[in-house]
Amino acid sequence: MGGECIFQSSQPVNRYLQCHELVLYKYRNHAKNLLVIVIIDFRIRLPRLYSTLSALTSLDYVTTTGPSQPYGQQHLNEPLLDHREGQLFLTEAFKVILEEVLCKGTDVNEKVCEWREPEELATLLDLELREYGEQQHQLLQRVRDVAKYSVKTNHPRFFNQLFAGVDYHALTGRFLTEALNTSQYTYEVAPVFVLMEDEVLSKLRSLVGWAQGDGIFCPGGTMSNMYAMNLARYRAFPEVKLKGQWALPRLAVFTSQESHYSVMKAAAFQGIGTENVFKVNVDDRGCMITDDLSEKIELAKSQGAVPFLVHATSGTTVQGAFDPLEPIADICDRQGLWMHVDAAWGGSVLFSKEHRHLMRGVERWESGACSGIQLLECNFDLLKRCHSADATYLFQQDKFYDMSLDTGDKSIQCGRKVDCLKLWLMWKAVGSQGLEERVDRAFAHTRYLVEKMMKREGFQLIGKPEFVNVCFWFIPPSLRGKENSPDYQDRLSKVAPVIKERMIKQGTMMVGYQPLGGRVNFFRMIVISPQLSYQDMTFFLDEIERLGNNL
Amino acid sequence: MAPTNERHMNDTSSKASASPAEPKGKRPPVLVDGVTLNGPTLDIREAESFLRDAMPIIMEEAVWKATDVKEKVCEWRSPEQLKDLLDLELREGGEAHPQILQRCRDAIRYSVKTGHPLFFNQLYAGMDPYSLVGRFITEAINPSLYTYEVAPVFLLTEEAVLQKMIEIIGWQEGGDGIFSPGGSVSNMYAVNVARYHHCPDVKVLGLSALPRLVMFTSQECHYSVAKAAAFLGIGTNNVYVIPSDKRGKMIPAEFEKQVQRAKDEGALPFMVNATAGTTVLGAFDPLEEIADICERHNLWMHVDACWGGGALMSKKHRYLLQGIHRANSVAWNPHKMLMAGLQCCAFMVRDKTNLLQRCHSAQASYLFQQDKFYDVSYDTGDKSIQCSRKPDAFKFWLMWKAIGTKGLEERVDRALAMARYLAEEIKKRDGFRLVMEPEYTNVCFWYIPPSLRDMADGPEFWRNVHAVAPVVKERMMKKGSMMVGYQPHGDKANFFRQIIISPQVSREDMDFLLDQIHSLGMDL
Repeated sequence: MGGECIFQSSQPVNRYLQCHELVLYKYRNHAKNLLVIVIIDFRIRLPRLYSTLSALTSLDYVTTTGPSQPYGQQHLNEPLLDHREGQLFLTEAFKVILEEVLCKGTDVNEKVCEWREPEELATLLDLELREYGEQQHQLLQRVRDVAKYSVKTNHPRFFNQLFAGVDYHALTGRFLTEALNTSQYTYEVAPVFVLMEDEVLSKLRSLVGWAQGDGIFCPGGTMSNMYAMNLARYRAFPEVKLKGQWALPRLAVFTSQESHYSVMKAAAFQGIGTENVFKVNVDDRGCMITDDLSEKIELAKSQGAVPFLVHATSGTTVQGAFDPLEPIADICDRQGLWMHVDAAWGGSVLFSKEHRHLMRGVERWESGACSGIQLLECNFDLLKRCHSADATYLFQQDKFYDMSLDTGDKSIQCGRKVDCLKLWLMWKAVGSQGLEERVDRAFAHTRYLVEKMMKREGFQLIGKPEFVNVCFWFIPPSLRGKENSPDYQDRLSKVAPVIKERMIKQGTMMVGYQPLGGRVNFFRMIVISPQLSYQDMTFFLDEIERLGNNL
Repeated sequence: MAPTNERHMNDTSSKASASPAEPKGKRPPVLVDGVTLNGPTLDIREAESFLRDAMPIIMEEAVWKATDVKEKVCEWRSPEQLKDLLDLELREGGEAHPQILQRCRDAIRYSVKTGHPLFFNQLYAGMDPYSLVGRFITEAINPSLYTYEVAPVFLLTEEAVLQKMIEIIGWQEGGDGIFSPGGSVSNMYAVNVARYHHCPDVKVLGLSALPRLVMFTSQECHYSVAKAAAFLGIGTNNVYVIPSDKRGKMIPAEFEKQVQRAKDEGALPFMVNATAGTTVLGAFDPLEEIADICERHNLWMHVDACWGGGALMSKKHRYLLQGIHRANSVAWNPHKMLMAGLQCCAFMVRDKTNLLQRCHSAQASYLFQQDKFYDVSYDTGDKSIQCSRKPDAFKFWLMWKAIGTKGLEERVDRALAMARYLAEEIKKRDGFRLVMEPEYTNVCFWYIPPSLRDMADGPEFWRNVHAVAPVVKERMMKKGSMMVGYQPHGDKANFFRQIIISPQVSREDMDFLLDQIHSLGMDL
């Protein structure tokens, strides 16, 4: 192998092999009396070419000098991308995904995570992006590595965040969404998904108890909360869209101390200012105290600010508390405030006849966020009037179908990912009934865990859970009975981080911890996945003991 | 609320205590609240077999057939028809697997095939198998990018991709960045960061405490700039629109005039949004000159390169963005020209002082604990305005690994060459008229049916031409043969905007496009 060949001077005598990516020319170089093979690579992947050509080593001469590609004379006749090779890769890669991510990742006998320090992992993954591409077997190895070093959020013992578990119908919906690669702005490009989103939203609204309304899916609960703040402001002061905040008095937002931090982010982002978010006190369980809400509203008014929005929470992030919606709605009615309920986490109780009482008064909100879904009960056009920009290139008014279906202008985004298919497909597959069962089951698991915890020494609950968040301290034997010693709180605060470190390094499970208010670091256990059984609860308690007993 | 709650608690605890204690060895059902807790409810094996059945359908119908040039681009149904066909209603009971599989097939059948070589409708197109694998992986792993603890691999790949993109922009001292859900959101980031950079008080005090802020953008910019101004409380009246020249490029002299106007009014000019690759015409604003003006007036320079950023990959075409290295922030969507798949949108700042973090952080104690056992500077989630965030960079990383910088460059070069070819063909053919010579891969043109070809150029003529594109579009969609967008623009009558992205597109497809428009519109 090796050598040079100037392509321009060669006359192809036999174009005997051609596929989309590779053309072989064979000719005889009379001067040197050699048979010369010229390979023209239509994609640049030279290293791999040599290896696939190893069968052809009997050829005298191989060169990789392709034709120069002057402007306008590229090989426009043939597609640059060949899907046959891609097909092979996709098939192989999917096997790996199924085995490594889905089978092993949900197997209770496998590890939840494979801890590596950031620097070490960076080296293992070989992150650098280079000039030339890699061979397929190398890429498959990358797929395996990613599966290996990623945290298995589908694992039954992943209790770390407010999402967990895998639903295969939803997953199929997500694969399908990715394969179809559609952006949800107009009926023209996303006919199926525009209709589907509409159906899912109206179903969710009927769960809430609204006869009519409007809504949109958005990328994350934080975004939903931002939508709510913007809509509330626009309803109170429509001139804000044109003139900005300067045309308005100082505004005031009210939310509980334990609400999600996105309220602060939204206030900062929308130019309202975090100082103008009034934090309402909560009771021991983390629920908003409505008397204090009234007081804070008066306080804001006395400072010359204009209250416009109450941001209530159904299911707080840490304690899983539900704000009392009925009394809050009364106050909002009296004061003429927009009431937004952040039910991003707690909204699923609406599926359950037994537990939906937690959100009593829900039908009285004006907007709610439910796991990245924005719902609104308001006159239909508000979303659109508030966010529209009337881009002529997308929302042409002379289209041949009903343009009220081009819902994209309601959004603050332009390209928007399809988020409804996965939920629709899962809902179709398990039915409202099935979703209700899952919710009820999560509640039952929580009750079971709490019962067990109360019986075990060393586990101290923080309030009785209302939802599926179980918050507790683990008190190692060395600290038991020493509640009154001066360094007790200090030592207790160090327990959770160490247990967490040990569990991650051993990969046995994952559960979160945090301080809150005056309380030092405590664990927050979240029970969601329908894959769980009571044995997992027992394991959870045993494991915390095992990891923390010697502290 | 409280009393009902207690009643519920008492009620359930009595039920739970009535359930039998758990003996060793045998495992009788554990019953809480009437729910059996033995074993998972989700039958993993059954679920897995569903996935194994569904996957070939997705591959066959949504990937291979959908990218086959011989198949239809779309299967048009009116909304009412489609509603019936899909049977959208969500009911009390679930459905059996064969039915759900049929639903997948239906969803694919009636969806527009955006990966099809003849889909030219939007600023994204084509299908890259490596990116697709990346997306399947992230969907299966289902991580959210807030901390190194939960998403170690995806945070590191995001960082690697951002660093490489920053290097390509040409910021020698480096920079910072984040992936966001869409170019519109990236532009909002830019406005917020620029505002915070000028007046850090805004985060706490809000805009009421600040002088009136004014930002600038060209008349050809993306509509998200106006949306951002409204959403962030700046107000669309405070976006001063700068006229563009005939080719759609911002006129720098006009820009300076507008800055002066704002100053004379006593307002505080704080940023300009320059566009590299406008949505319709594919125009590039003169970045060097804009940068000069920004330096003179101390303005934040943001470049919306969502669409045009792809040209940076090409040594031959990156001159289009000459001066981008002087920008303070850049938005660039690899899901467009570089085919990384929806969505993949990077927002980058040249700043090295942790501006993103300072501007957006809320320091949630439950996520970003400071007593973790690893270097918490890897927990980059607080830089974002989101909480949960999808790992959008990974698919791009995997694709980049697979085809290399060279491969990306080659695709961009080819798309531009193809646009050149199409423009030349349009000039040669009767009845086709270019709106202007393309600079990028937006080829804008009118189709003039034979009945109008002898008509004199005038208002009457353009009124007629204006009506052509909508009808041709309707016919092509109903036929399902291809999809290309049209729009009016300024005072120009409806024209087609042809976008070339996918390396799967060949010269024959360009010829087909023109033939097809002619055959659909010749009787008009």
